[in-house]
This record gives sequence, C-alpha cells and structure tokens, in this order.
Amino acid sequence: MKITFTINNKEKTVEVSPHQRLLDVIRKELGLTAAKEGCGKGECGACTVLLNGEPVASCLVLAPQADGAEILTVEGLLSEEGDIHPLQQAFLDAGAVQCGFCIPGTIMTSYRLLQEKANPERQEIREALAGNICRCTGYQKIIDAVELAAEKWQAGGEVQ
Amino acid sequence: MFGFGYGEGFPDHSIASLEPIDNDKILIRTSAADVGQGVKTVAVQIASEVLKLAPEHFVLSEGDTHITQNAGSTSATRQTYFTGHAVKEAAEDLLGNIYHYASQEFVTNHPEMGTKEGRVFSHVDPDQEMTIWQLRDKLADEGIELKGRGTFFPKTFKPDPETGQAEKVYVGYTFHSQVVEVAVDTITGEVTVEKAYSAVDIGQAINPQAVEGQIEGGTAQGLGMALMEEQIIEKGRTLNPDMSRYLVPTAVDTPEVETILIENEDNDGPFGAKGVGEPAMIATAPAIINAIHDAIGVRFYELPVTPEKIKEALANKEQ
Repeated sequence: MKITFTINNKEKTVEVSPHQRLLDVIRKELGLTAAKEGCGKGECGACTVLLNGEPVASCLVLAPQADGAEILTVEGLLSEEGDIHPLQQAFLDAGAVQCGFCIPGTIMTSYRLLQEKANPERQEIREALAGNICRCTGYQKIIDAVELAAEKWQAGGEVQ
Repeated sequence: MFGFGYGEGFPDHSIASLEPIDNDKILIRTSAADVGQGVKTVAVQIASEVLKLAPEHFVLSEGDTHITQNAGSTSATRQTYFTGHAVKEAAEDLLGNIYHYASQEFVTNHPEMGTKEGRVFSHVDPDQEMTIWQLRDKLADEGIELKGRGTFFPKTFKPDPETGQAEKVYVGYTFHSQVVEVAVDTITGEVTVEKAYSAVDIGQAINPQAVEGQIEGGTAQGLGMALMEEQIIEKGRTLNPDMSRYLVPTAVDTPEVETILIENEDNDGPFGAKGVGEPAMIATAPAIINAIHDAIGVRFYELPVTPEKIKEALANKEQ
C-alpha cells in the first residue's frame, strides 16, 4: 500500500506493507538513520521521533498509522545551511554525548519538552526523559544540556 | 582502589604514529577504540599540547591493521594511560624530527627551536621559519618522510602463585571515595538515592568534563547494581531478557553527582593521568548498601536490594 506523510518538512509517498514499522520506513526506505533501534519493543526510547508533534517509539508505530502525519527526526532539526540546532549544540557543549546511541531519541524528547515548557526544572527534565534510557552518562550532563538549551531559548536563541 | 591496565605480567602495550597530511593537518594513527569514553579526544588534546597546535588541525585514523599498529583493547581502564602515552611519545618524536630537519634547513647548529601554530622557527633567528607542511615537502624531495612514532610497553609483574603478591600487580592505581544520601520508604521498600559525592584521585584530568561523565555514568551503573539489576537464569535460560524486567536506572532514578577531582600526578602516566572508567563505578554499590544500613539498621549481603528484600527485612526485624 502507498502512504503519504510529511517528514522533516518534506512530503514523501512510499510503498509499504501493512505490517512494516515506521522506524524501518524512516531508516531503510528513506535512509534517515538518526533514530536507532535499541530494544525494538518500546522500552528504551532510542527510536523516539515526533509524530504529529508528540514523541513516539517509532518501533511500535505501524507504517500505515503514519499516513497523513507529520514526522520530525533529528535530521529535521538542522538548518537549511546544514548547521546543527542550538539544542544539539547544547548537548555537545555540556558533554552530554558518550557513545551517542540514545542521543537522537533523547534530543527529540527534550525538543518536545522545551516546546511545551521554556524553562523546566531539573526534576521536570528527568521525568520527561524517563523513557529514554542511557547506559553511559548517568543523565546528569544530558539534563545540563537541556537546561543550557532552555537558557539559550530564554535569551532569545532559536528553539522553535 | 582500582588497579588498571592488564598488569599481572601480561605484555600490554600501545603504539601510535603522527604525520603531517594535506596542507594544515596532522594525522594521528591509532587503533584505540573510542566507545564514547573519549580516548580520541584525549589523543588529540595530548598531541595538541606537545606540538603547540590547535586541536582542529588533527585528524584521527580508524583502527585498521593495514594502517595502524596495536593499541590494545578498550578495557581494563587502560586507553588514556596506554594510548595517551603512545601518542605523547609519537608527538614528541615528530617534534624532535621537525626540530632536527628544520635546523638543517635553517643551516644552524643551534639546537633550540620552537613551534607555534604549525610553524617551526629558530630561537637564534626567529625570522627563519617555515610551516611543518613546507618542511615535509622539502624533505619529500630528498626522499625523507617526516613523521613520529611512539610506543608504550610498561613493565608488568606476574603475581606469585602462592601469595598473589607482586611488586606492582597492575600498571597503575586509581582511588575513589564516594558518599551517598539515600531515603528508604519503609512502606513500599523503595530506596531513593538523593545525592552522591565522589572524590577521585585521577592523577591529572586530561579532559575534566569527560572524567565527570565517567564518574556520573559509573555511579548510575553502580546504582543499578545495588538496587535493581538482576539477570534471572533458570535452566540456562534468561527469564528477563528485556528492559521492562531487567531494570537499568532511568533519569528519575539517578542522583545528582558532585565530583571532586584530586589531581595527584601519577609518575608514569601521560602528563600524570590515570584511568577512570571502571574505578568510577566500584564505590557506589557498597556506599548505597552502607547508607541503607545507616537508615534502617539492616545489613544486606546480596545484590540487588529490591523493595521486596527491604520489606521482608523490615518485617523480620519487627518480629
């Protein structure tokens, strides 16, 4: 079957089978490999993307469910010139990335949090990220990064 | 205390080399695997320090037996120490060659040369200068390759089979003390680690932010070991092979960690550095178990201390 959706502001029509997962469509059909498959059962958060503005585990979404939807992945955060997003820069500045496997999902969840709340408390950041498991960092520098991005936003930086 | 490096008489080593490439880059050849702990960042920082050249001028090879020699495994908390050493030696060898050949180009027998931002100059006549890459091209015309190579083969000591003793069983030793504050919910049995303080004798932190990252991550792993992580095996089969039943700490389970770096230089480490990967986690589980004892007066001898075990222990205590 054919489905049409918007991903990172571009409309795409792809041929999918009804049982195909959205994660596979994004990674294999479209070649957007930021979202990662960790557990494949919605427990780790590495495959998190925004579907109609909300974070979802794309390994648990069937491709036909994305018909007509708007999807955002980390690739969609880059500027037209290819510059990384201030939120991504904050992750680099805070030293929040070690092996990096969880980071694309963590960034999408953080992005949604900052859209909803410009200046979250550390505990609120922890609760928002509770579904994104990281084995390397102990989360502290990830939380620092989200705080840093929030400060930039408050100071008029660009976090849309 | 944690002894790092393979030690125990094992012929452990790391080899690296450096060479100018393109018109403004230095290639660092090392096969050290960076799994996120930051050995590649450390390698660039060390080479940058020796050659007095900004980090953006360095590129790193991938580990490949055709183009790199052995750097050993990324294990035993050894890469900063071993590959850090090899890269430092390689950068110093390259610097020595730059000085040697540049002094010939400058026709001076004065040995005191300097480098700054990719230029080599003579202290006698600072107007005499050229870039490292110009020097490389001149030497290439004469059939000479400009590069540097460094190796690190520390002596390791085999322990006595009877006593387990040796002069120095491991290559180096990192010391870590940790204090944790916990709260125990006596109704649900849940333990919350509210805060952790870490003091680590790191020798010299080549990259303090990355060292903190290791400590914070190690604390989270130690917390998982103390309170939640348990592989349940029955007749050879793992009964909890997923993250909803084998629990690892999430962002709401981990404490804020305050890290204090004790920079007491190691005589043998590169710029005095020691390893920090594994030592980061070993203090956490004992500290949590001691804190639980302090809170409820019960001592546990089996990990993980789950809410069920706390409730059972409290019920037994009341009887």
